[in-house]
Amino acid sequence: MRAYLLRRLWQSALTLVGVSLFVFVILRVIPGDPAKMLLPEGAPESAVQELNRALGLKEPLWVQYGIFLRSVARGDFGQSFQYRAPALRVVVERAPATIELALCAMLLTVLFGVSIGILAAVRRGTGYDYAGTVLAVLGQSLPNFWLGIMLILLFGVSLRWLPTSGFQGWQYLILPSITLAAFPTALVARLTRSSLLEILGQEYIRTGRAKGLGERAVILRHALRNATIPLLTLLGLQIGTLLGGAVITESIFAWPGMGKLVVDAIFFRDFPVVQTVLILSATIFVAINLLVDLLYTVLDPRIRYG
Amino acid sequence: MNRRQFLIGSGVVVSASAVRPMAARAQAPRGQIIAGLSERMLTLDPANHYSISATSVLRHIYDPLLDVTNDDKFVPALAESWRSVNNTTWKFTLRKGVTFHDGTPFNADSVVYTLKRVKDGKLIKSFVYQDIEEVTKDGDYAVTVTTKRPFGSLPAHLTMLGMLPPIAAGTEDAFFQKPVGTGPFRFVSWTHGDHIELAANPKYWKPGVPKVEKVTVRFITELSTRAAALRAGEIHVIDRVSPDMVQTLKGTPGVKVLDTPAVEAQRWHFQLARDNVKDPRVRKAISLAIDRNVIIKDLLLGYARPVVNPVPPGLIGHVNLGQKPYDPEKAKALLKQAGQSNLTIDFVLMKDLYPKQLEIAQAVAAMLGEVGVKVNIRNLEIATAREQRTAGNYDLFFSGWAHMPHDPDWYFGQWFTKAGAEKMTRFNDPKVEQLIAEGRVPDPKVRQQKYEEIERILWEDEPEIWPYYSVAIYAVSDKLRNFEARRDYYVLLSEVGIA
Repeated sequence: MRAYLLRRLWQSALTLVGVSLFVFVILRVIPGDPAKMLLPEGAPESAVQELNRALGLKEPLWVQYGIFLRSVARGDFGQSFQYRAPALRVVVERAPATIELALCAMLLTVLFGVSIGILAAVRRGTGYDYAGTVLAVLGQSLPNFWLGIMLILLFGVSLRWLPTSGFQGWQYLILPSITLAAFPTALVARLTRSSLLEILGQEYIRTGRAKGLGERAVILRHALRNATIPLLTLLGLQIGTLLGGAVITESIFAWPGMGKLVVDAIFFRDFPVVQTVLILSATIFVAINLLVDLLYTVLDPRIRYG
Repeated sequence: MNRRQFLIGSGVVVSASAVRPMAARAQAPRGQIIAGLSERMLTLDPANHYSISATSVLRHIYDPLLDVTNDDKFVPALAESWRSVNNTTWKFTLRKGVTFHDGTPFNADSVVYTLKRVKDGKLIKSFVYQDIEEVTKDGDYAVTVTTKRPFGSLPAHLTMLGMLPPIAAGTEDAFFQKPVGTGPFRFVSWTHGDHIELAANPKYWKPGVPKVEKVTVRFITELSTRAAALRAGEIHVIDRVSPDMVQTLKGTPGVKVLDTPAVEAQRWHFQLARDNVKDPRVRKAISLAIDRNVIIKDLLLGYARPVVNPVPPGLIGHVNLGQKPYDPEKAKALLKQAGQSNLTIDFVLMKDLYPKQLEIAQAVAAMLGEVGVKVNIRNLEIATAREQRTAGNYDLFFSGWAHMPHDPDWYFGQWFTKAGAEKMTRFNDPKVEQLIAEGRVPDPKVRQQKYEEIERILWEDEPEIWPYYSVAIYAVSDKLRNFEARRDYYVLLSEVGIA
C-alpha cells in the first residue's frame, strides 16, 4: 500500500509539472499581448513594449519558465498583471466563494441525485420513474445560463424571496447552487438508477430478501453500497470540476469565484493568475482522484493496491 | 494676441467661487446607495488603471485637481485655479484647508508626489504624462508643471488622476490595501470581484457633500443580472444599459431610465496600407454604401446619434460638418472608377465589446453587398483581434473611442500621427501631424482652429468610418435624488441623495 501511495504521489508530481509546462507554453503561444490588454486602446507602441518589459515578458521563454518554476517552488506564483498583487493571493481570495458554492451544489447533487435515482429504480416503470427521467433529462439539457436567469427572474425579481446575485450570506447561495447542481444531479440520478437496477437483479439481493430482510435494508445497506463505486468516481470528477470554478453560473450570479476570475484572466492575458488557477485546479483534481481510488478500498474490500 | 488676452482666452482661470461658500448648515448625510457597475475593479491605485468603472469608484475616494462637468467644462476640485504661463508651463493654485481621510493636510507636496509618481513610474497611466518635464512646488499651495512640449490637454487628463498623500511613497503596496484620499467618501472595504464599501467623509471640503452615509458599489458584469438586481430593488443604479433592455426597465415600477449622448464616437478604422482600402475612392464608396440611419433607428432603437464630426459635440474642436450621405449608386460608381468590381474586405470585431456590434456588422455586410463589396466578418476574442490589428491583418476594424478626458488630443495624437498609428491603422499624413502638434498648445482658440482643420481633412479623406455617436444609458431607482446621467459613463454619487 505504501509503495502504491509513493508511486501515485510521484506520478502526481510529474503530472503537475507537465500541466505547468503545458499551461505556461500554451498561454504564450496563443495570440494576444498582455500589455495591450492592460493599456487603453490606442496606447503608444513604446508604452506597450515598456510594460511588457516590466512584466518580464521580454525574456526568452525557457528563461521565463525557469524563473516561474523556481518561484513556484518557493510558493510564489508571480504578480498578477491586472491586479498588481501576488497571483496566489488574488486566487486564494476567491477560493472561499468557489468552495462554498461547490460544496453546496455537491450537497444538493448527492441529496437529490441519489434520492431521485433510488426512487426511480425501486419504483421502476411507475410515475416516479418517469418523473425522475424527465427531471434528469431537463437537468442535463437546460442550459445553465437560461436556468440561472429564469431562477433570478422568478425568485429574485417577481417573488422577491431570494437575492438575485452577489455573495453576502447563505441566502445568496441558494439560486446559484441550484443552477450549478442541475446538471450533476441529473447525471447522478441516472447513474444511481441504472446501477441500482443492475444490482437489484443480482443473486445476493434475492438472498437478502429471501432471508427476510426489509426492503429498506436491502436497498440502503446492500444494493446502494455497491452502487456507490461508480457514483463515487462520478462525484469525484464533478467536485473537481466545481472547485475549478463554474464560469457561467458565476457570471450570471455575479459570484466572485475562481471560474470568473480565470476566464477574465484568460481574456486579459493575465498569465500568472491563469497559471495559478490551473495548477491549483490540477492539484485538486489529482488529489481527489487519489482520494477516490483510496476510498474504493474502504467501500469494497475486494479492491487492494499493492 | 497679448498676454492678457491669451490668459483670459485660455479659459482656465477659474475662480474658487465655483464652489458654494458654506451657507446654512448642510444636512447630514443620510441613507445608503448601492450601485451596480458593469466593469470589474482591479486596483485602488488611481494611476494604475484605465477602467471607466474604477475611475468612477475611485473618484469617490480621491479628488483630482480638476473636475469636468457633464457639459465638458473644467471646474476646480483640489486646484482652485490654474493657468498656462506659456506653452510649456502650467501653474496650479491649490485649495487650502483640505485634509486626507487620515487627517494629514493636502498641499503641494501631494501634487508633486502624485505627478512625479505617475510620470516616472511604470504605471498604466504613465505614458499619458510622459510630456511632463518637471513638477515643482511654489510654496505650500501652488505647483508649477513644465512640459517637454506643449501639453494643452493636461488639465483634462488631470480630471482622471486622484491626488495621493506623500506618505504613500515607498509603501504603495500597503497603502493601496487601505487607501486614504481627500474625496467625499472614505474607503471601508473591498471584497474583490464582488463589491466595495465606502463611508461618508464628514470633513469633506465641499459643503453639503456627500448626501448619503454609505455607498456600496457592486460589480455585476452581466447586464441581465444587473438589471434584475435593480428591478428587485436590491440596488439603486446601473450603468451600461443596452437599448434592448430599455423597455423592460421602463416597464418596471420604481425604475427610471436616463440617457445622454456619450463622449464616445464609434469609429471603424481602415488598415490604410492594405491594397483593398488604400484608395480613398474605395473608402468613400464604403462610407456612402452604409445607411447610418438604419443602424441608429432599427438596430440601436434610437439610442445613438448621427455623426457630424469625428469628435463628439461639446469637446474642443467640434464643428458640425454635416452628416455623411447614404448613396449606394454613387458608391457603385466610385468603386467602378477605382477598378474594384469584386472587392472583399475583412471586417474585424472585438467579441462582445460594443452593444449589438455583430448585428450591426452583419447589417453593414448586407449594405456593402448591395454595392458589390463582400464582407468577411471576423468576430475575434479581444486580445486576438488587437494582435491581428498590430499585424495589419484587417481592412476595417470595429471600434469606438470614448474621449475620456473630454478632450480629443489623445485621439488625434494616437490615431493620426505616424508614430501612434504605425502598428494600428498605418495612417501617415505630415500635414495632419503638423496640425496636431500645433493644436497641443494651451490656447483654446488655437486648438479649436487647428482641430477644425484636422477634422475637415479627415472628414474628406475618410481614414475611418464614423457610424454614430454612442448614447450612455443608465437605469436608476426612483428613490435616487439628483442623479446625473454622465456623458463619460461615470457613476458619480457624492451629490446624489436617497429618499
